[in-house]
Amino acid sequence: MADENPVKVNYLDALTAGLWRENPTFRLLIGMCPPLAVTTAVKPALTMGLSVIFVLVCSNIAISLMRKLLKPHLRIIMFTLSIAAFVTICDLYLRAFAPLMSEILGAYVPLIIVNCIIIFRAEACASKNNVWFSILDGIGSGTGFTIALCIIAGIREILASGTFAGIAVMPRGFVPWAAMQMPVGAFVLLGLLLGLSSLLTAKRTN
Amino acid sequence: MFNKVKYFIEQSWLLLVTSFLFGLLIAVADAAWSAKVEQNKAEKLRGLMASLISDANSFEIAIPAAQIPSDKGPVKTDIYKAFDAQGKCIGFAFIVVGTGFADKIELVVAVDARCEKLFGFNVLSSNETPGFGDKMKNASFSSQFKGAPAGKLSLIKIGDSGKIDDEIVAISGATVTSTAVINIFNRSVISVKKQLQEKGLLTNNGG
Repeated sequence: MADENPVKVNYLDALTAGLWRENPTFRLLIGMCPPLAVTTAVKPALTMGLSVIFVLVCSNIAISLMRKLLKPHLRIIMFTLSIAAFVTICDLYLRAFAPLMSEILGAYVPLIIVNCIIIFRAEACASKNNVWFSILDGIGSGTGFTIALCIIAGIREILASGTFAGIAVMPRGFVPWAAMQMPVGAFVLLGLLLGLSSLLTAKRTN
Repeated sequence: MFNKVKYFIEQSWLLLVTSFLFGLLIAVADAAWSAKVEQNKAEKLRGLMASLISDANSFEIAIPAAQIPSDKGPVKTDIYKAFDAQGKCIGFAFIVVGTGFADKIELVVAVDARCEKLFGFNVLSSNETPGFGDKMKNASFSSQFKGAPAGKLSLIKIGDSGKIDDEIVAISGATVTSTAVINIFNRSVISVKKQLQEKGLLTNNGG
């Protein structure tokens, strides 16, 4: 195991990179389907985020364990197989223990299989690094994704229904913006948030 | 030949082994949780039926796998019979489907023991536009079905939605959804009534 990481890897960096610098939604713009589709309310968005963290960590572990056995031309099929297995387990778990959330998320839970973030982390990190590093990387990227989902969902839920995670937060007489609940609200808000994140990064680099 | 087999095994053994292991993992998860999934489904349906037939104490399947017409051809569904605390039949409930504006609409519909009046409907699943078709879940639309005759319903654009009769006032801005709901009722209720009559369930226990 000594020759495993010739370059000293930074474990803290693996954990924190996904939060902002390599945030999948705001910085890398990958896996953009859930941020648009499941962000009408905070609870389903959080469930989606946690499901992605689970699948990401499990598939990273599985792929990291088999990385020395992977044949280059068979690696994508191995990634997809591992991801599909964990997504199926996650979907079964939600249907058994969170039926309401499973119903709201509908097809988007099985669709985690084709989520770019997971296959990207498998290719870029888990197939090249040890298990511990891959676990931290999975937690970091997954958490960054979950936070992004919750920010979008929080704003949309407040404006569309006047609630946050089901609790009324807006004053009486607030007129809900129905548009925020529809796809148009997701696109406009995501655009504005991406603009904001670019502005913040530009300021930092200057 | 032998070399080919050897090559095949060399290339694919990892895929075969992991497929088997993951398959096993999924089978274990499914065995552990599938009973709970079925229970959730049954509980949800029961809850929806009970909220329609308020005095219902218990349900049992009256006609299993009955054929109910829908816009995509006949659909098999169970027709449930509802009993009150004294064990008297007080109504029937069943699931019906139809095509809505965005996706299919699944409703739980309940009728009284004589199949003369509707108890109304609950939405089992739908994907209608929020703020428009989604309003079919609101009482302003759905309460029009409570007590309406279990026969042919018609949709009107303007009218008194408080008046209970065979005329249903459409949701403003969601004519497609309103029409879909009316069509679901018109296709299914009369067919269910006929099937209940044929089985003698209306005259024997309903009267």
